[in-house]
Amino acid sequence: MLSHGGRSKSDFAAYVSKQALADSSPYALEDGSKIAVVGGGPTGSFFSIFALKLAKMIDKELNITIYDPKNFSKDGPAGCNKCAGIISELLVQTLAVEGINLPDSVVWKGINSYQLHTTKGSVSIATPSFENTIAAVYRGGGPKGIIGEHKESFDDFLLGQAVKEGAAHISVKIEGIEYKNGKPVLFSQGGEIEQADLVVGAVGVNSAKTGIFPDMGFGYEEPRTVKAAIAELSFDEEIITEHFGNSVHLFLLPIKSLKFAAMIPKETYVTLCILGHDLNANSVKDFLDYPVVREVLPKSLSYKFRCRCLPKMNVKAPKIPYADRVVMCGDAGSTRLFKDGLGAAYIMGKAAANTAVLHGVSKQDFQEHYYPVYKNIIVDNQFGSYLYFLADLYKNYGLLTRWMLQIVQEEQSDPEDPKRLSSVLWNMFTGNERFKNIFATAVSLPMRFDLWKAFAKTLVRRR
Amino acid sequence: MKEGELGRLYSHGEIIFKEGEKGDVMYVIQSGKVKISKNSSSGDITMVTLQRGDIFGEMALFDKLPRSASAVAEGDTRILSIDKKKLFSTIWKDPTVVLKVIETMSSTIRRLSKDFAELKKKKQNMLCGTMDLEETCSFILEEARENIVAAENGSIMLLENGQDRLHIKAAFGEQAQEKLKLAVGEGVAGDVVGTGKAELVNEVLTDSRYKIGSLEIGSLMCVPFKYQGKCFGVLNLSSRRGNRFTLDNLKLLNSFSRYAAIALKNVLCMSDLKHATEEVLKHASILDVY
Ligand SMILES: Cc1cc2nc3c(=O)[nH]c(=O)nc-3n(C[C@H](O)[C@H](O)[C@H](O)COP(=O)(O)OP(=O)(O)OC[C@H]3O[C@@H](n4cnc5c(N)ncnc54)[C@H](O)[C@@H]3O)c2cc1C
Repeated sequence: MLSHGGRSKSDFAAYVSKQALADSSPYALEDGSKIAVVGGGPTGSFFSIFALKLAKMIDKELNITIYDPKNFSKDGPAGCNKCAGIISELLVQTLAVEGINLPDSVVWKGINSYQLHTTKGSVSIATPSFENTIAAVYRGGGPKGIIGEHKESFDDFLLGQAVKEGAAHISVKIEGIEYKNGKPVLFSQGGEIEQADLVVGAVGVNSAKTGIFPDMGFGYEEPRTVKAAIAELSFDEEIITEHFGNSVHLFLLPIKSLKFAAMIPKETYVTLCILGHDLNANSVKDFLDYPVVREVLPKSLSYKFRCRCLPKMNVKAPKIPYADRVVMCGDAGSTRLFKDGLGAAYIMGKAAANTAVLHGVSKQDFQEHYYPVYKNIIVDNQFGSYLYFLADLYKNYGLLTRWMLQIVQEEQSDPEDPKRLSSVLWNMFTGNERFKNIFATAVSLPMRFDLWKAFAKTLVRRR
Repeated sequence: MKEGELGRLYSHGEIIFKEGEKGDVMYVIQSGKVKISKNSSSGDITMVTLQRGDIFGEMALFDKLPRSASAVAEGDTRILSIDKKKLFSTIWKDPTVVLKVIETMSSTIRRLSKDFAELKKKKQNMLCGTMDLEETCSFILEEARENIVAAENGSIMLLENGQDRLHIKAAFGEQAQEKLKLAVGEGVAGDVVGTGKAELVNEVLTDSRYKIGSLEIGSLMCVPFKYQGKCFGVLNLSSRRGNRFTLDNLKLLNSFSRYAAIALKNVLCMSDLKHATEEVLKHASILDVY
């Protein structure tokens, strides 16, 4: 991994001696080292898959155990890690390059476009490559009461991949972790389970608060969260094909408490996911009664509610995500704001795995090699906050909404057009691009003078 | 296969990319099979058939050269394309992303070096297992003398590659003139190779075309070797006596020469192939280090 190009001999010598030091450090993982992964959601599985793959490449044998009491093949909320189930184009492709090909049994629908619905009309944005590049999945066995077992859950599939790589999965909830002689010891209700060389905290934000990681006393606090709302609607398959096609339907509506909502078709179901602030049990009904939504989903279409939940979403990452022999990843650490949490789970799970296997498991190792990636997401989210602020303006003020729609319509009807606004919106909601890059494109968009005026007026009025 | 699954559908025989095209996309097979083939002078050669999970077109990511082979769907196939630019920004952040791609490339190199080793072995077998040109000519002459008509002298003369001179490749009898060379149209043999017609000359000395050499001959038969209507050599049988051969002898010898021509042409092609293989192996010997 070392490039000699342009480096002096002494640089190289320093690197070699540092590496030698790292290998002999008490915090380096050795053959037979034990890793306890708490949480078998995507983050825990990604960590395990990549740590084991990498260790094999450098002839190291690690013992990884994943602890998670959930059965991901069970229907309804009990078996589910509750999300909209969109695997971004970038994640689908990156996983394929990594050799993790999402099988047809996991993909409920391949998505090739987004339909954007606003009070001023609707517009369709297609994938740049015109193929089904986004996967719609379920995180558990499917909506409550689903009959038959023809599909596999995404989390089950990933956990299976981790087990295939050599990880063990134990169906147990971890109730406490304590340091003993400098190494963490895990406890379940039944008592002590094991002492590990490394504990990976991949517990997400949606399990009943046990405070196991904050209680370890290294300064970790659970992430700040907001509540989101998810509902599963079931339809006849023809209705889904005709009304939803292979598109995610995205709603940008002038409702203050609502950031955006999406409807994702999955065979005979549609997952409705609403993101915003102060959402509650009535949010789904209020949303479905909104006139724009009624146009997409006319009263004549009959459907049934199968499942509902109000899962939490990480909106602010904890400051201290690691200590000696402990690292917090995925939703329990830093994740991307309001989108592509699974992409972040992949990035963070892998960054932790690379650090542990190639460098070591000390606080210093995580500080040097894991934290830069962690921090990157936090910094990027700041650009994200600003972009969501802009999106709020565009959805809440009719003139801006109309302008946005008009531009996108023009871009989509002209094959030669570089489609800059379309790509801003596409990347914004699909997780294809970092917020920072979307921001750069967004601010370089040419704007008409009358729009500048409207934009300025809107800002003044908000004041 | 449903429309709703990941990737793009290709039907049987549909071309995913063509050899020589510019490419900046890599592919991963979601389902079905893809045939990777290369164009050669003797038609398309299938290099490998890939299946679900396999990566192809990955070379385009790392060099700017055109596609080195074509990819065609075998049956209904679903394929996910991966854009070079996007992948590179991922590689920039985490180089281990391409470990699997490197693994694929490394196994391709292994497969190729195995194929080359086999090719090399085949070449050696070819060298040891088949006769060379001179041997075949002697064998044909021997056959003619023993089974067609007894003669005191005989020779096979062939036009050398790209030249219009006949060279003796094999001969028997008295003081066989191994070094004799005749231009097309020169002497009886030169005439026969020019006209493509078999000839029987019973009084050689009265034939104006006859070139007096050290051999003393009274009568001779000369038949052409033809392949696809083109003459590329002759078979001569001669005797010191005049009127030694009959028209029947000539007919028999002529039909014998038709089959002999095929055998000779095969040997000539084989030796061309051998040269080509040697050439390929010379260029590919670098792969032997793996
Ligand atoms: C409404 C909503 C919609 C979303 N939509 C999308 C989307 O469309 N696309 C996308 O990419 N992301 C989406 N996300 C984000 C995504 O769900 C998360 O980023 C992702 O689930 C994080 O994975 P994780 O493994 O870190 O946590 P989780 O998926 O929450 O997994 C944590 C696991 O840890 C286990 N666990 C917890 N405590 C313990 C314990 N003490 N002992 C043992 N096991 C334990 C749990 O059982 C669980 O299985 C969405 C999130 C929400 C809230």
